[in-house]
Amino acid sequence: MMRGILGLLLRALVVLTGTALATFTLLWNAPGDAATTIAMARFDTLLSDVVVAQVRAELGLDAGFWPAFNSWIVPLLSGDFGNSSVTGRPVWPDLVSAISYTIPTALAGLAIGLALAIPLAILATRHPGSWSDRFAVGIASLGAAIPAYWLGLLLILLFAVKLAWLPAMGARTPAHVILPALTLGLGVAAALTRIIRSGILEARRQPFLPAFRRRGVSDRDLARAHVAPHAATPVITVLGLELAFLLEGIVMVEVIFSRPGLGSFLVTAIGARDFPKVQAVVVVTALLFVVINLAIDVIYRLIDPRTGTQDA
Amino acid sequence: MTLSVCGLSAVRSGRTILFPTDISIEPGARIGLVGASGSGKSTLGHALIDALQDQGARVAHVPQSPDEALDPLRRMAFHWREAEQALGLPHDAARQHALFRALKIEKGDLRKRPWGWSRGMQQRFVIAMALVGSPDVLVMDEPTSALDPVVAARTMALLEEYLSTRQTAMVLITHDLGLAAQRVARLMVMDAGRIVEDGPTSDVLTAPQSAVAKSLCMHRNWLELPC
Amino acid sequence: MLELHGVCVRYGKVDTLCDVTLCVPAGQTLAVVGESGAGKSTLIAAILGLVKLAAGQITWAGAPVHTCRPSLVMQEPRAAFNPVLPLRRSIMEPLTARAEQLSDARLAHICNRLELPIDLLDRKPGEVSIGQAQRAGILRALIAGSPLILFDEPLSALDAVTQKHTAQLIADLQDEMGFAALVVTHDLGYAAAFGDNIAVLRKGRVEEITPTHAFIQHPKSDYGEDLRQAAFALGALGYGA
Repeated sequence: MMRGILGLLLRALVVLTGTALATFTLLWNAPGDAATTIAMARFDTLLSDVVVAQVRAELGLDAGFWPAFNSWIVPLLSGDFGNSSVTGRPVWPDLVSAISYTIPTALAGLAIGLALAIPLAILATRHPGSWSDRFAVGIASLGAAIPAYWLGLLLILLFAVKLAWLPAMGARTPAHVILPALTLGLGVAAALTRIIRSGILEARRQPFLPAFRRRGVSDRDLARAHVAPHAATPVITVLGLELAFLLEGIVMVEVIFSRPGLGSFLVTAIGARDFPKVQAVVVVTALLFVVINLAIDVIYRLIDPRTGTQDA
Repeated sequence: MTLSVCGLSAVRSGRTILFPTDISIEPGARIGLVGASGSGKSTLGHALIDALQDQGARVAHVPQSPDEALDPLRRMAFHWREAEQALGLPHDAARQHALFRALKIEKGDLRKRPWGWSRGMQQRFVIAMALVGSPDVLVMDEPTSALDPVVAARTMALLEEYLSTRQTAMVLITHDLGLAAQRVARLMVMDAGRIVEDGPTSDVLTAPQSAVAKSLCMHRNWLELPC
Repeated sequence: MLELHGVCVRYGKVDTLCDVTLCVPAGQTLAVVGESGAGKSTLIAAILGLVKLAAGQITWAGAPVHTCRPSLVMQEPRAAFNPVLPLRRSIMEPLTARAEQLSDARLAHICNRLELPIDLLDRKPGEVSIGQAQRAGILRALIAGSPLILFDEPLSALDAVTQKHTAQLIADLQDEMGFAALVVTHDLGYAAAFGDNIAVLRKGRVEEITPTHAFIQHPKSDYGEDLRQAAFALGALGYGA
């Protein structure tokens, strides 16, 4: 057990260092001069070389890659995300505020995805191959084929412009979360429906089910107590990956709906070459991934304790 | 009361794998259903269970391997409770304890899942679960072939002892006439979807009529092979 | 002659085989019996060189055992063949791998002895009966011409009559070809009928190696006696202990 936890921490450390280094390298080597871009973002106008040189010296961009990397990573080790290159204010409060917008969107998206996918998958597996199965799989394929940015625009057009039921832009009220979450949720549901469907069909082939039926266990109990857990195991594995896609999709959705979340935060920061901000998002996202994967591991072992205990 | 079913048959993908068959089972009977693989004995066993259940008789089934009877994700206690509920029985700790003692699994940890138990104990748990509703008929499909011989022999002995004081009839489905001959009083020999011979074990062993029964008798014992 | 001397195999901290010493002369059969988990499969893996020995040595006629290229007959007949290839391809694989030839007459002869119609070899594993698939497995082991053949529960997937028939075919071919056979089985009846000697394996150790006729009368070890009693109770050895 101790060894397992230690291994997990070590893995998390490798992931975090790797992502930090990789993004810093990418950002450093991106085309265009960083100091010029930052200076432009700061003062919103074209500037003389003197000012650019001043910015370069102030941010330590002239010292070379490793000193610049170190001056960012070392404070981070004690929890200090540093100050924005553009505004000079600490990154951390802005980051927290961005996260507080993103997490509800992501969770609502996931909830909508599951709420759609599970009934659809159950409908599909009631009579495999029938019209209801084809209907459910068809909906799922359609959902997977529609890109989020287009779906988002369609939803805005329908619910915000035509029907005027829901707000489209910003994040002032809780109602503002509905359309972005729906956009995310429909995409998630598309992928999950197919996975849950095949999970259920696979689980129904378990060799012990006929014996339970002969024992007098009702189909209802069989589905609830035996098919569902066996169907859940592959789904949970995929759910982790699905959350990754969700975080990816959220960047786009937040930009479309002008939500001040992590996605908008990241896009603005990249545009301005705001190194500390970009890095902060990357570290937080990587940390989130590590935590999600850990949680999935734990849930998996709760359902099927055989995993990880047997010598392979 | 003697149970009887008529006209059991089965067709799979257009091919008849069980021709219409009648069977009657007296209380406490010990019947062996023997035949080569593919002779239709398991099919007959399943058809028999379904038909008897439709008549309202209490029938229990023990499959060949505990993997076919237990859910690896569920605890043993859950299986037990579920088996009781499926028969509409209230939970009865005394009955459970009596069955566990009879089959020598009282030391098994019910909080564990099946794979936390040895295979022999798993199979005895499955048998105990089958006996929970005091069935009229217990159908066992190759109940010992997945077990080590020492464990298999002990399991059959424990079961026989438990059944000896009860009215439960046993139908033992096996390809091994040697095994059946040790356990049953009446033998039914199956071939190609039909019962070709049906009689007291000693008669079938000493004077087999059909070619299949003759072959089974000749090969029933490793040390007395015809060649 | 196959000789194992003080063989140990270790998985982690557990000895799955511990100080195993035994021998099988050419033309003879040693039946290894024991419960599941006793180390029977590890024994076969060790002789095939599939696991590392922690101690001891395995030799054939004094040379390392791999020089005699032992053959293996597996427990699950159909799983022993590639399901999408005709049987012939899989059967010929040991010969193709060694760039050796086999005369049609010899193949026909062995097929004939195994009561395996030769055109059956053009079918896929799923298109023959289990008994035929197992005889095809035996054919594959035989045509390689190895002086040592290992049988891992060769009959447990077959029904009682087919078991005895197949065992008889193996024994007849052994008389003709003179290979040494090491048979792992949980069926003491089979072991008693066709083994020259019976080895009892328990928890990775050899409890006894006894000539078969002596074993049937009086096993030396307690577990051997348990096995004998069980075989009588299950009708594998006849009636009445």
